[in-house]
Amino acid sequence: MALEPQHAPTFSPLADWVACYGPELRRHVARMLGGADEADDILQRVWLTAAQQPPLIAPDTTPRAWLYRVATNAALDRLARDRRRRAALDARGPQLLPDGDASPDEGVTKLDESARRRVREHVARLPRKQREAVWLRWVEGDDYSAIAAKLGCSEASARANVYQGMKRLRQELFDLWKKEYRE
Amino acid sequence: MTRTPCTVPEDRIIAYVAGDLTDGEELTLAEHLGTCEECCEQAAELTALRGALPVCCATAAVRWHSFPTPFGTMFVARTDRGLARLSWQKRDAQQGSWRAQRPDDFVAEMEERFPGQPVVQDADALADVERELEEYFAGARSRFDIPVDLSSVSEFERRVLESARAIPFGEVIPYTELARRISKPGAARAVGNALGHNPVAIVVPCHRVVRRDGSLGGYTGGVQYKKQLLTLEGRDDLLRAG
Repeated sequence: MALEPQHAPTFSPLADWVACYGPELRRHVARMLGGADEADDILQRVWLTAAQQPPLIAPDTTPRAWLYRVATNAALDRLARDRRRRAALDARGPQLLPDGDASPDEGVTKLDESARRRVREHVARLPRKQREAVWLRWVEGDDYSAIAAKLGCSEASARANVYQGMKRLRQELFDLWKKEYRE
Repeated sequence: MTRTPCTVPEDRIIAYVAGDLTDGEELTLAEHLGTCEECCEQAAELTALRGALPVCCATAAVRWHSFPTPFGTMFVARTDRGLARLSWQKRDAQQGSWRAQRPDDFVAEMEERFPGQPVVQDADALADVERELEEYFAGARSRFDIPVDLSSVSEFERRVLESARAIPFGEVIPYTELARRISKPGAARAVGNALGHNPVAIVVPCHRVVRRDGSLGGYTGGVQYKKQLLTLEGRDDLLRAG
């Protein structure tokens, strides 16, 4: 997709992109968010990103994949914020991550200590290898080769442990709560 | 929204959120998230989780590592303050005998010593400890430069261990002399107990404290290790008395 910088155009024909991909992206984002209300807001962020940090597009390809990634990630950030807030507001829920009115850009910065402790407790209950791999990947920001070196395992094993740990944490922190909530 | 059960495995969605997919795979999955409510929900939750982990877990980790030594596999752990534990043996709770230390037992012990702090394996963070111990066992080092964290022991034990730390390579002092040095002249037995709780043996040289009559006294894990360490430090002369 991306070419060597010397071959790639550095300008961004933004107006063409809005006309060509805008309607399609708007439908995509609206479907993800379950409504069109916030879709325009998300698309504004996509165009802003495209203007400020234009992607390097090879001459014979389109920016469609790049636009989809930016739009999808922006929509996921918005949904993630809602999941945290919903979990925090429900008294019977896990008090996961109350982040007040933080914008998606701010992410999760306003967490009370009990919410943090709950997440830490679930991390602590993971099997040792998963716990260590998840910690190194998401708290320390290591890539898989660095994790493999620290744990003395293969990169494939490092990645598998990160995935298994993420899967289990998601299920424990969200699925169980939703099950209780619905019953 | 799809009504048929989705066949995309959760690993695929985790890979997307982790940024592990190729451009082409990424586009396929992004498009899928717009058509599958279930996967979109999972992706949103995983995104929330990914963002929450660094915030929730922003507390210093205890890092550990293991490597071979003449005493067997050595397990070491450090906090931000310094080396907090060094262990090659563990007492069997039922039989009371000593056996080789194991990873899971070592990690469990560190979690007990440092409650609330994550314990992660990290060979890089302990590379200097491994190197200094290797040099010591090879007879190429007479002093450890790594900082030590004695925060997991009692105040009295800490005073004893800090005093023991000052005993130079190849020298020995009696328990009574160490008791005197910490201004507790009558506490030789308590000093012996405190040395027995040394979490960083070898580096804090509790093996350099012996009985006043010249015999070696005890050593946690077996006096044969005390003999080996003193031999390594050129004090074979003490072994005949012990």
